[in-house]
Amino acid sequence: MQLKNSSNISTALAIASCSLFGHSAQVYAGDDKQDDWKVDAAIMYYGEQDRVQAVEAIGNVQKAFGDESLLDVKLVVDSLTGASASGAVAQSQSQTFTRPSGDGQYETAPGETPLDDTFKDTRVQVSANWAEILSPVWKTNVGMNASKEFDYFSLGLNGGLERSFNKDNTTLVLSGAYTFDNVDPVGGRPVAFSSMALRGDYDSEEEYRAAFAQTRMEGSNDKKTLDMMLSVTQVLSRRWLFQANYGLSSVSGYMTDPYKILSEVDDTGTTQRYLYESRPDSRLKHSFYMMTKGALDSGVVDFSYRYTTDDWDLNSHTLETHYRYYFSRRFYGQLHLRYYQQQAANFYRPFMMAGEPIPDYASADYRIGDMTSYTLGLKFGQRLSGGHEMSYRLEYYQQNPENNGFDLVGQLQDHDLFPEVKAVIAQVSYSF
Amino acid sequence: MSIQEKRVPSDLALSHRSWGHSGSFRAMASPCELLINSEDESLAREMMAIAACEAARIEKKFSRFIEGNPLWRLNHAGGKASAIDAETANLLQFARQCYRLSDGRFDISAGPLMALWRFDGGGIPAAADIKQAKVLVDFSLVDFDYYQLQFPSGMCLDFGGIAKEYAVDRVAYLLAEQWPTISVLVNFGGDIACPVSKEADTPPWQVGIENPQRLDSAVALLEIRQGALATSGDTRRFIEKDGQRFGHIIDPKTGYPVVKAPRSVTVLGPNCVTAGMLATMAMLQGEHAEAFLSEQEVEFKCFR
Repeated sequence: MQLKNSSNISTALAIASCSLFGHSAQVYAGDDKQDDWKVDAAIMYYGEQDRVQAVEAIGNVQKAFGDESLLDVKLVVDSLTGASASGAVAQSQSQTFTRPSGDGQYETAPGETPLDDTFKDTRVQVSANWAEILSPVWKTNVGMNASKEFDYFSLGLNGGLERSFNKDNTTLVLSGAYTFDNVDPVGGRPVAFSSMALRGDYDSEEEYRAAFAQTRMEGSNDKKTLDMMLSVTQVLSRRWLFQANYGLSSVSGYMTDPYKILSEVDDTGTTQRYLYESRPDSRLKHSFYMMTKGALDSGVVDFSYRYTTDDWDLNSHTLETHYRYYFSRRFYGQLHLRYYQQQAANFYRPFMMAGEPIPDYASADYRIGDMTSYTLGLKFGQRLSGGHEMSYRLEYYQQNPENNGFDLVGQLQDHDLFPEVKAVIAQVSYSF
Repeated sequence: MSIQEKRVPSDLALSHRSWGHSGSFRAMASPCELLINSEDESLAREMMAIAACEAARIEKKFSRFIEGNPLWRLNHAGGKASAIDAETANLLQFARQCYRLSDGRFDISAGPLMALWRFDGGGIPAAADIKQAKVLVDFSLVDFDYYQLQFPSGMCLDFGGIAKEYAVDRVAYLLAEQWPTISVLVNFGGDIACPVSKEADTPPWQVGIENPQRLDSAVALLEIRQGALATSGDTRRFIEKDGQRFGHIIDPKTGYPVVKAPRSVTVLGPNCVTAGMLATMAMLQGEHAEAFLSEQEVEFKCFR
């Protein structure tokens, strides 16, 4: 029946008692250190029906240095497995595809959406951010992030400057980021619109290898992104605030997805060959965002709207809301609703017609086609003793790709070329 | 300073001594005493008034026995959150630290258990009653920050284990702040603080510790120039049954008084709340009380 750390008790009590009488602040400072650290850990599962499954472990450590500085370090490790849509259309007969590496093939059953099942990767992401309060009205932050997966490497730098006005009721933030990405695709980078070499069309392995090599270019490719963002936050009343952001993003370099293809079909809708996709090498995006957030008697609610547009003509609208209700001071529930609608990029096409001239750019990636998606989520959070918090999140996410006006010829009318993608997200977080 | 209650209690008594003045009044169910190392009678009266007001203020605010006082309102919030002031938040913070350091055995939510063990000759409570009361005792369910407090309906908080020591320290610091060169010994029923050192060329303050066997005579005289001391013990309050003596220190983990606890423990510390909490924690150690205090490297006296 011994007490914990017996010998420290008298010191700990003496320190604790100081706060009772509001003096000896210098003694108390030593005890405060424990609260300088904040650690969050989470595990997340993302699963699409019959497609991608991902498990993600997230670790986040925050350390305050005095009242002025905060260091935030985050580590994310995720593991992806499963299949993703290759871009080819479903057919009435079975289809055979060459794997991106050129080694081996995979088959898709009649009527099924072709999914590339070689998708498997582990990604490690690290980011660090330093925030510093320069004066009562000026704040700044700088950060860096790096991420590495098998065929991809990304390195970014970011910084921001914040100025508050009007007794802290108005805040203006200007931030910028520069990201350098390098992609080194499995099997090499495909030549734009080259035709997929299939082993069955060749008599020998050598001939096939030579044909496959013709569809590939050596080496890796870079992409550079420059982001700028201007944000205004205004306190409207004791309970409500409003935020508006404008973001500009300029991307240049390799943006083609090296694993995506397009089916080239004849008048009957039957696939003649598969072509590797090609996307422009520059993109300029604008985004406009508005959000209002309010404190209710026993909860918090926010509503936001985002509009994005770019020179690929890919426009999107997002409506989102969170509503948190505190059942008690220790327990809350949160409802999350999100509606997203996007208009296809100008070079998106679900397939190509044989005999038509090859365009400059084309992609059948449904993610840049017409689409609506929605998310429905529930989260519960529980405060435990000692300031620890546990939360659970469960979300349902559905993507509904749509045809953006292409006439479906022949057998294509018999198949669902725009299948829904349904996913579940589950997350457990613990912060201490 | 927040002396809200300006009405000076009527039972103040002040007498002149060779070393200065000694004053007494009653508060918190205890005899309260100030030993003032000053010949100035009006100053001594002023100090007495401050001490009596502050003691009365704390008693009024934190006594469990005053219907409608701030503590009563917190205890009758019915599970809802209540706003609290900085002083209450600080005391709760300290109580939480004590709860943690004692591994959950010092618990200001232990009121329902304490109420069963009344020490008024009522005998030993039934095991079932104890079990029932224990359900309502759990400080980890008490949720608070600097501005509000919330705990499940049915539970209640009792600052009895801290309030008197806190009052001693508050009074001692109030006086020391205003008269930083005059040594005053504040003694509320054996809980003592003296933040300003008594001058080296004068004899130290002398404090008697009661002998639990012979309640009316001081068995040990402690000499103190500066610092604080507090006593925890079952010298006056106990139940005896079948030759076993149940003391007034209840272990919330078992629901029963601590066995083989010393009759009384006196501890010297930097201030009275620290000394008092060490004494209480030592009592909770039962037969290991002395070993525990030795480890703490504090001066102490145990009677068994």
